Amino acid sequence: MNEIGGVPLFFLEFGDIVTYFSPFTLTLFLLALVFTVFVVVSRPERQIDIAFGADAFFAKEISLPELRFRRFMAIACGLACMGAMVTGDVFDFTLFVSLVGICNVGIVAAVRTYHVRDAAYQYGLVALAGTVPLFSAAAMVAATTGTLSMLELASPAAPPVPLIARALLVLGVMGEGMAPFYAAKAEMFRAPGAPYVIMCSLSSLLIFLRVTEVVLLL
Amino acid sequence: MIIQKISRVLSNYDNILPLFAGACAILAVLALLSLPLPYFEDQLYPKQIVPGSTLNPYDRGGPPFTRADIRLQYPENSPTAGYVTAYLTPFSLFLSRTTMYMGTTIVAHPGGILDEILYNTRGLDTVVEPTILFVSFAIAAYIFHRRED
Repeated sequence: MNEIGGVPLFFLEFGDIVTYFSPFTLTLFLLALVFTVFVVVSRPERQIDIAFGADAFFAKEISLPELRFRRFMAIACGLACMGAMVTGDVFDFTLFVSLVGICNVGIVAAVRTYHVRDAAYQYGLVALAGTVPLFSAAAMVAATTGTLSMLELASPAAPPVPLIARALLVLGVMGEGMAPFYAAKAEMFRAPGAPYVIMCSLSSLLIFLRVTEVVLLL
Repeated sequence: MIIQKISRVLSNYDNILPLFAGACAILAVLALLSLPLPYFEDQLYPKQIVPGSTLNPYDRGGPPFTRADIRLQYPENSPTAGYVTAYLTPFSLFLSRTTMYMGTTIVAHPGGILDEILYNTRGLDTVVEPTILFVSFAIAAYIFHRRED
């Protein structure tokens, strides 16, 4: 097999969906796992706004229900990231990526700041639209090769995946939160509550790294 | 200079959706130009329409309550494959015997036809799909509740 991410160390089988832990995917998985644990145990930062022209500042308090909801979404996002990092199935990968996109919207959906909410709405629309190229890429892979397993597709004997299917996959993942469609997310980072908001950033970094491996594997 | 201009346009998040839509449109045109794509005949998950079958299009072969031969990517991972499709609930069995609509999306339900491919060999997909749905419900419910307070 075409070993972009190193020799797989361990396979975990879920029927036809085989998750594999190669040095590359294991590293990404551990990164997502560590950050998820960090989100579970940490408390959110309290954002401080300095008032200009006066000797004053405001601390933004996060209410307990809001904290709970955002923590739940950040943990869900972490779990989705972990799944996307190690899955060995193209369709399963696209499902996890779209779950990451929805969780990212959820993390900032609780914020009351108008600007952040507006950005989250725009990002949500892009994430929604991004599922179209994402799933059409998976459908194209299934139709042109007859299988969805990355391990099978990576073998030299597998039929070639058309370039347009790879391009659609990359565009779909870009829509779920990569540059240049990232700008809406950058606005979302203005939301108070540091560890949860950083999950948005980390998840898109991880799925970016993973999709490069997937595209090179196919 | 040009990067400065591009980043100025991109920094306005109202431009993101039209930009993404444009990118999708360009790729869609390229996809249409790259047609016809070769269809791989030896599909792992075939879905054939058998005109006489009441379980259309979920008929994976074999009579109910016996083992069916099912193609799998990794047969060693699903030792019980072939036994699940064959199961129909008494109501589904009644439907399949009396009508031709058992396989339609409105009538088909989990436990009706337990589709082997969906629920056994690709079970993780079946778990992740409702998870996406439930997470969206959770977000919608939270936003709806927040308006009331």
